[in-house]
Amino acid sequence: MWILVLFCLLIGLFIGMQMPVFLTLVYAKYMSIAVIAALDAVFGGIRAYMEDNFDTTIFISGFIVNTILAAALAYLGDRLGIQLYLAAVVVFGVRIFQNLGIIRRYLLKKY
Amino acid sequence: MRSKGAQFAIAAVCLILGIMLAVQFKTTESYQANLVPARVEDLTQELSIVSQERDALVEEVLSLREKLKNARQNDPAMADLEADIQKANLSAGLVPVQGPGVIITLTDSAGELQNGENPNTSIVHDYDLLTLVNELKASGAEVISVNGERITARSEIRCAGTLILVNWNKIGPPFVIQAIGNPDTLESGMLIKGGYMGTLQVYGIQASIEKAEKLDIPAYSGAMNFTYAVPMKYKEKAE
Repeated sequence: MWILVLFCLLIGLFIGMQMPVFLTLVYAKYMSIAVIAALDAVFGGIRAYMEDNFDTTIFISGFIVNTILAAALAYLGDRLGIQLYLAAVVVFGVRIFQNLGIIRRYLLKKY
Repeated sequence: MRSKGAQFAIAAVCLILGIMLAVQFKTTESYQANLVPARVEDLTQELSIVSQERDALVEEVLSLREKLKNARQNDPAMADLEADIQKANLSAGLVPVQGPGVIITLTDSAGELQNGENPNTSIVHDYDLLTLVNELKASGAEVISVNGERITARSEIRCAGTLILVNWNKIGPPFVIQAIGNPDTLESGMLIKGGYMGTLQVYGIQASIEKAEKLDIPAYSGAMNFTYAVPMKYKEKAE
């Protein structure tokens, strides 16, 4: 399981590095929010997997919707003149740490 | 519930996450690399170094010209050509000159701006200097300088932000135009009714002209390089 996750992540990084895609500074900001949302979704999924209540539909839909929603929220904030992306950063940041903490405890219990 | 499907889903999402992360890394890296050289302190330091280099090079040009002159004087064959060279140098603006003439001083308007008045009309522009220099030439001026910059055949007078470039050097107000020629002719040429001096005064610019018995005008201090122009023999005629 862990090897598979790491392996896919590395393959993804490799593909991304090889892709001739560059973002302009404007879109890079939204992309960064989307990346944080995606990270949160992945850690949430791993946590659910270890808690044995993993649901593929919820995981996939959560990943897609959260990623798009976070970027859209940042975009809306820019249009309104509010730095809404900070809200996304704080919420996802806190959740990533919580999920990581729970995963760590499960791992410690297991081994 | 630890199914193959769950593992496959997590793996697929990790793959997409990896691609997103890589793209973001690349973008962030390329922008940070571009932003580094734009620091103000660095640019200021660079500017002062380049300015010092420029001053040193000006000194060098002047001393080399002096050496060239000495070399010519010591060579008897060259002595015959000396008069011709002197004349050519005078035309080119490469020797300092002295003589009677006029001094024109221009300063931005001192009056307070009234409501609705265009601030552009109360400051001295590059085209004001250009027109005055042109008028002076038309009045028979032989040698002209603007703020100590000798006007040569290749000198530009051009707006550069808040300052004006002459011979690629920045000058600012007050502008002093010195012109050597017949002082009376020059003065009357400039003060002619409907002339440009009068126009400037209408707009509130402080423009004044005075005759001078003896003016010192420096030589052009830059280098004159011709990359594209090739001289032809005297007998050949340009098409």
